[in-house]
Amino acid sequence: MVPPASVPLGFLLAGAVGLVAFGACLAFGATLAVRSPRSPDVLAVTHLGVLAFLTTAVLGALHQFAPVVGVRALRSIPVARITVVTLVIAVWALPIGFAYFPTTLVVVGGLVGAVAVCLAAWNLSGPLSSREGGIPVVGLRLSVLYLLVTVTFGVVYVLDRHYGWFPLIEHRVLAHAHVGLFGWLGLTYISVAEKLWPMFLLAHRPKARSGAWAVGLVAAGTAVLGTGLLFAWPVVTGAGGAVVAAGIGAHLTSLAGAVKHRRRPLELLHVFLFVSAAFVVVALVLGAVGGLAPVSTTVRMHLVSAEIAALIAWLGLAVIGHCHKIVPFITFNRLRERGIQTNRSGGPLLFGDLFDHTVAVATLVIGATRFALVVAGLAAGFAAAVAAGGAAVGIAGLAVTLNLGLGPRRVLPKAAHQDPEPELARTT
Amino acid sequence: MSQAEPTSTTVDAEATKATVLEALDNVWDPELGLDIVNLGLVYDIKVADRSVVIDMTLTTPGCPVSETLPREAEAAASAALPDFDVSVEVVWDPPWTPERLTPEGLQRLGFS
Repeated sequence: MVPPASVPLGFLLAGAVGLVAFGACLAFGATLAVRSPRSPDVLAVTHLGVLAFLTTAVLGALHQFAPVVGVRALRSIPVARITVVTLVIAVWALPIGFAYFPTTLVVVGGLVGAVAVCLAAWNLSGPLSSREGGIPVVGLRLSVLYLLVTVTFGVVYVLDRHYGWFPLIEHRVLAHAHVGLFGWLGLTYISVAEKLWPMFLLAHRPKARSGAWAVGLVAAGTAVLGTGLLFAWPVVTGAGGAVVAAGIGAHLTSLAGAVKHRRRPLELLHVFLFVSAAFVVVALVLGAVGGLAPVSTTVRMHLVSAEIAALIAWLGLAVIGHCHKIVPFITFNRLRERGIQTNRSGGPLLFGDLFDHTVAVATLVIGATRFALVVAGLAAGFAAAVAAGGAAVGIAGLAVTLNLGLGPRRVLPKAAHQDPEPELARTT
Repeated sequence: MSQAEPTSTTVDAEATKATVLEALDNVWDPELGLDIVNLGLVYDIKVADRSVVIDMTLTTPGCPVSETLPREAEAAASAALPDFDVSVEVVWDPPWTPERLTPEGLQRLGFS
């Protein structure tokens, strides 16, 4: 059912490179990010974060997760491989185009990106058309739909930069950003979490409905919020924002319920989830204050920039945390296929053997504190904090990539010398 | 003699089941770090002649190890009973709940 490991790992590796680049470019572009958040360079950095890092990594996770939860394979493995390549071209062409080639490369990147997303949506429609899977599958159908809407926004805006159909003013850009962050990335995370949280925590809550409410409210609220921002209708924007906030509240209630009913101790992933959840709360507060408070244009600009950064931190930390489950699962299967059954101490090989926990904790601490620095720096208009935070986010990206990428080596040297056949007979 | 045979078959079946359970004790859920017997995933072991059918479940449909764990259980039982035809049936009814964890399983997960 699951695709070859090279498919999700290809996306995830590209996403990791995107994270490192995002952090590095944020460090170098910190002053501009504070003073002129709509400048082409900042636009480039933002797209590195949401496309080269988040969208690429999330699409990789979906190519692995959707067939498992839908109990139905992707429509085509070759198309999945083409998607990785086209997506990587697009997510790098766009930021480079924004920064250095105002029109040509941006148009090319936008169109190639649209092709990549259409390929991904077609491929994922196989497992997502399954009647299995419940709320997570329903949510993922909606989130993929929002991905297509987000890309449509993007392509229209890219072509508008070339043809000049209409002015690309703040509220229209923010509509695009919020549809992408809440409707595509946020809803994907919320939907996937409804499957993963109970599974990872052994939490059995058959009557819990908060996850279904979260999916429904965020999906509906994003449509209203996006419409309100697009047409600069404050009342509609506020109503949409309130519905999205209610959906996020239901999502956090679901997390609390899973934690309360758990049958296993909390572990590193859950700390990632809690810290990530704190960022979405901060984002909602910043968004509400930025949208409703009687503040100057400059302060409002800072608050909205910080809100976007907090949303990226919410999703980014959740992605990094879950990668500590997804990547070991993929590499575990490959090791087992090679006959490796045990860890270095001779015990059964477990997912937790496939990365260094100290490095993972350091990744969490560096990532969380430095994302906090970026958000605070943007909110307060303090470029040095943004620069320091951005550099450390890049380091966290490098740490998680090396830790998970080199993880299998932790069991290979000793285990590789074992004769796999007796082990296979003795254990599994 | 005719009365002894069923008794002998019953004893053999119980012994076979015990052998299977012992083998499954070494099949671990790689995410939870717990064997599938203490996780309560093994519902039934049916022994007839030289055939063994293991009814097992998973913690949730769409579990990441849903393809590998039943295969590993079958391989472990087959290795323990080389003269038997062993198969694993994945069943979803009744669905697994944490209440199926054995006391030892709960203790090993830190919930004693």
